[in-house]
Amino acid sequence: MSYAIPDEELLLSGHLACPGCGGSLSMRLALKALGEKTILVIPACCWSIIAGAFPYSSVKVPLMHTAFETGGSAAAGIKAALEVQGDTETTVLTWAGDGGTFDIGLQALSGAVERNEDFIYACYDNEAYMNTGIQRSSATPWGAWTTTTPVRHPKERPKKDIVAIMAAHRIPYTATATIAYPEDLVRKFQKAKGIRGAKFIHILSPCPPGWKMEPAYSIRISRLAVESKVFPLYEVETGEKWTITVWPKREVPVREYLKLQGRFSHLTEEDIEFIQENVDRQWERLGARAGQ
Amino acid sequence: MEKVIMGNHAVSYGAKLARAQVIAAYPITPQTQIVEMLSEFWAEGLLDAKFIKVESEHSAMAACIGASSAGARAFTATSSQGLALMHEMLHWAAGARLPIVMANVNRAMGPGWSIWTEQTDSLAQRDTGWLQFYCESNQEVLDSVIQAFKIAEQVLLPTMLVLDAFVLSHTQEPVDIPDQELVDRYLPPYDARYKLDPGDPHAFGAMVAPPHYMELRYKIQKAMEEAVEVARQADGEFREIFGRSYGLVEKYRLEDAEVVLVASATITSTARVVVDELREEGYKVGLLKVRMFRPFPTKDVREALAGARKVAVIDRNISFGHGGIFAEEIKSALYNGSHRPPIFGFIIGLGGRDVTPASIRGIAEYTFEHDTPEMEIIWREVKNS
Amino acid sequence: MTEEIVFKTEADMPYLPMSLGTTLVNKTGSWRYIRPLYVDKTPPCNHNCPAGEDVVGYLALIEEGQYKEGWELIKQENPFPGVCGRVCPHPCESECNRRELGGAMAIHTLERFLADHAASQRTSVPASKRYDAKIAIIGSGPSGLSCAYHLGRRGYPVTVFEALPVVGGMMRVGIPEYRLPREVLEREIADIEALGVEIETNMRLGDNLKLSDLEDYQAIFIAVGLQKSRKLNVPGEDAEGVIPGLELLKRVNLGEEVQVGPSVAVIGGGNTAVDAARSALRLGSKVTILYRRSREEMPAIAGEIEEALAEGVKIRYLTAPIELLTENGWVMGLKCVKMELGEPDESGRRRPMPIAGSEYALKADTVIPAIGQEADTSFLETGSWELAVERGRIVIDWAGLTTREGVFSGGDVATPFGTVAHAVGSGKRAALAIDKYLRGEELSGFPPIDEAVHAVPKDIDPAIVRFEDLNLAYFEEIERTEQPQRPIEERVSGFEYFGWAQYREVNLGFNEEEAQAEAERCFNCGTCNLCDTCLIFCPDVAIARLMAPPYPVPLARLNGAGYEVNYDYCKGCGVCAEECPRCAISIEEEIKWKK
Repeated sequence: MSYAIPDEELLLSGHLACPGCGGSLSMRLALKALGEKTILVIPACCWSIIAGAFPYSSVKVPLMHTAFETGGSAAAGIKAALEVQGDTETTVLTWAGDGGTFDIGLQALSGAVERNEDFIYACYDNEAYMNTGIQRSSATPWGAWTTTTPVRHPKERPKKDIVAIMAAHRIPYTATATIAYPEDLVRKFQKAKGIRGAKFIHILSPCPPGWKMEPAYSIRISRLAVESKVFPLYEVETGEKWTITVWPKREVPVREYLKLQGRFSHLTEEDIEFIQENVDRQWERLGARAGQ
Repeated sequence: MEKVIMGNHAVSYGAKLARAQVIAAYPITPQTQIVEMLSEFWAEGLLDAKFIKVESEHSAMAACIGASSAGARAFTATSSQGLALMHEMLHWAAGARLPIVMANVNRAMGPGWSIWTEQTDSLAQRDTGWLQFYCESNQEVLDSVIQAFKIAEQVLLPTMLVLDAFVLSHTQEPVDIPDQELVDRYLPPYDARYKLDPGDPHAFGAMVAPPHYMELRYKIQKAMEEAVEVARQADGEFREIFGRSYGLVEKYRLEDAEVVLVASATITSTARVVVDELREEGYKVGLLKVRMFRPFPTKDVREALAGARKVAVIDRNISFGHGGIFAEEIKSALYNGSHRPPIFGFIIGLGGRDVTPASIRGIAEYTFEHDTPEMEIIWREVKNS
Repeated sequence: MTEEIVFKTEADMPYLPMSLGTTLVNKTGSWRYIRPLYVDKTPPCNHNCPAGEDVVGYLALIEEGQYKEGWELIKQENPFPGVCGRVCPHPCESECNRRELGGAMAIHTLERFLADHAASQRTSVPASKRYDAKIAIIGSGPSGLSCAYHLGRRGYPVTVFEALPVVGGMMRVGIPEYRLPREVLEREIADIEALGVEIETNMRLGDNLKLSDLEDYQAIFIAVGLQKSRKLNVPGEDAEGVIPGLELLKRVNLGEEVQVGPSVAVIGGGNTAVDAARSALRLGSKVTILYRRSREEMPAIAGEIEEALAEGVKIRYLTAPIELLTENGWVMGLKCVKMELGEPDESGRRRPMPIAGSEYALKADTVIPAIGQEADTSFLETGSWELAVERGRIVIDWAGLTTREGVFSGGDVATPFGTVAHAVGSGKRAALAIDKYLRGEELSGFPPIDEAVHAVPKDIDPAIVRFEDLNLAYFEEIERTEQPQRPIEERVSGFEYFGWAQYREVNLGFNEEEAQAEAERCFNCGTCNLCDTCLIFCPDVAIARLMAPPYPVPLARLNGAGYEVNYDYCKGCGVCAEECPRCAISIEEEIKWKK
């Protein structure tokens, strides 16, 4: 029962990710999808460390580390340089965390995709500033504990809808993906590679230390996120055509997803119901947009 | 070919002749014409470059860093607020050893909003590892763009050339625009030693722990030190091909000067006039133009001021809490040298306030009249002070 | 690549922070406090098979289209896949984890598929002769022939003595042909004879075969089965028209004429009773089974009971005869009493208690008692052997050894289980023991009598994988495929074609497509089948395939040899073990691996 995923490994062992890190697995899959003619751009995030310290690297493709907010702009420069030197084949992939995408990097991202720069921007979202020790970002979901939204004052604002923001830019391709559905993730990266223009892929990336979960449950929790519709898997083409790509096989209440993560352990029944309502409403809205 | 053009357009011609390949810039008064003319060149097929109309200056520098890392010749231009916004990335460009060239139009920092000339914006970036050249004329501006690429690509450090807002940027002067062929001879295409290349993958800019970081910084300083002679040589070669050169500093009538005025940028050209006048009247006065500010040409400065009895530094800038920056740098350059004349630090012309021949004359006279400065900063033409 | 990079001087360093090597120098395995191990575990099917078959192994082979290899895998343990695939009560299926998600695997029918396929391909098992020691086996039933087969495969000369004129014991005379066609049995017996095993029929121990004759043999295996029918112990039992079930089946299977009246009552609820009832039906009678407990307690195979009912056999539950009514020495009816169920007896089933005053009469001109069988150990009285017999069975230890040196026993005469599969396992146990005995080795290492032995030991963890140990995210609910059956009208038809029509096989087995589709449903519990899930999900790229296809052994027998964990880098996150769909990865504490 092999998976429809290319065999070549472009991520090497010895990288510095925490055991069970969703971000490292998603990179492994993304690189398999894109192949060796890829240039990685990594703004400040966990991957700035996972990539390995000087003088070592954990990826077999060229990698430019860059400042926190420059994921979109640095990539634009690289792509321009490649094209002016006659290379239209190499894929430029920005690989940023949620902080560098939703918050500090939002400007450069918006600018780059508005100009329809020809690159793939992938945000591996662990829903907080994990690299600096689990502080909240605008990607942190409602009710979650972080060090800056402690249990007495958990996050009160909902998670920013980054995909809607990207779709509003009317870029050729936006998608969500996660590690429990590796073939879906790979397919989306390969599809993105074949499109000229700006592509954005939002990856839910479980974080054992930050979500206070068992490292072994990384895939399981990622799967529950999709099955409970907290993180639906879909694509948006040119901001207009919405398509759900993975339909949950069974009905799963959000409780199943939340209860495996210590960052939600303080939630009351009321809180969980509130979350369930919002998830249901979000799913309906998505269904309406997708006409499915 | 000679044309009467504004300073900003001189920059444009310089970048075009230097065959900049990736230009990422964000508009800010008084820089806008630089990029506008480059856009026209490009639209007319005269410039084979990629334009990235970024959404901020921080992104402009980030894009240049990306482009240069991928092996392209990268160029941008900005001013004051924009330059300040880029600050983080200026450090990055130098640490990444990228030969990016930028034109900065000196403009005062807000608040309150000011679009007029002052040098604080670029001088405040003096610690970032960028080479800095302060230009006196539009010809010098054009020539310095071309020289900047040559020097940068050799020492592998980013380089900025600086011109005064409006006084140069928007003032039309006759400029000789060199032949592309000659420029090509002077400045071959950029051939990066290391770059982002799937055929030879490396990671650039990863975490560097204490055991290694200091050596990388040491190397940057060494490159800066090397840059002094590289710049001198580049200037020399420029003279050979184009018949013009500017030096790292310029000594004007210093031979028996008792008082030496030190100036930079357009104040220099006004100062030349005043020095000539004063000389007519019998004052033993001379002028030292500081063109290259980073790396600081300590040897040249010490040598130029070796005979001065007093030095009057004219700063159109200030480092709050200390004083005029050229004055501070010159004091520091002379301190360990053998000759330490009193140094008078004058601050004038902030926020674009006009610096007239009378202003400079006043400075010279003050210096002649006083044995010592009497205060660390001598403010000129502040109301009621 | 994995050499640490050391800069002695500043000049050794690149002028910018650029990588010169890879993180392979960083052995993140040192972070670990637990480690994953590929450890194949026991699926419930393997655990339950009394013949010790590697069920999951051959299911995987069917899936791979390797039918010959699957058949050979069964034949390593059980010489009678064609028989068992038709008559076994399939305890493998009763705890198959698939039953929770679409129905148990149709293992029984898949075993038959492999046997029939091998037959159609004329595949056979090779012989080898290595030893001189002679072994005598008494009885050519499943346990005797299994013992002969395993000894024959090991190169021993074996002689089987069979009292009847035909070979196969209960398989030949106790099971009707519509369940087990003769040619299926004969083919598998031929495979045994091809190993050099000699079978002498019409040799009855204690009669023309003397106990003293057996002194020529270095080891003896007694597998005489249970030949005596248990008596009803009611008045009228000795009248004409009372035929014990075993007797009826034997006569039918030997082609002898059997007289059954138009109205037949069968007493009993086991397979013999049901087989006898269905055979009587095929002889043209109306048949009623009388059973003293309820349907749930009937020990016969459920599918067989359903077929009996479908064919028109009637069953009266909770009733038992207390007297056979006779006239002129012929039975003409039964006096029965109704029963109710009380407390469980030693078999675990609720004890039937007669309800006072509920007697009634039932007409029947033939009564077929089938309430159980007993051993006939009378041969022991014909000689001087001292062999312990307890509660009607020969006493054996876990190696199958009786109380007499060099004499082993097994099958129904020595064990209480009563199925062909158990008998096969029992004969195999004795064969392995005899092999050790003849080589002077200690007879140790045998599992308890109710656990299977393996001719080819499987080096797997005995822990049994249950449904909750699986990761269901990887499986869909898919309905079990049932084998087609011959329509009723075609089964029991035209007894004017006596000798042919009656014996049409009822179950028709799977064709290749059906077998394939069904085999694909197998979870492969506890057995790595190279699905790549662990490999794909390892965040540290620390799992690699040890080999590329084609594989030297069946996928299902790689037993952890399919993948390799690179312990230099494995951080012990546990994702592989958690995601393994089939619980083939175990987690152990790292500390025990540190010296």
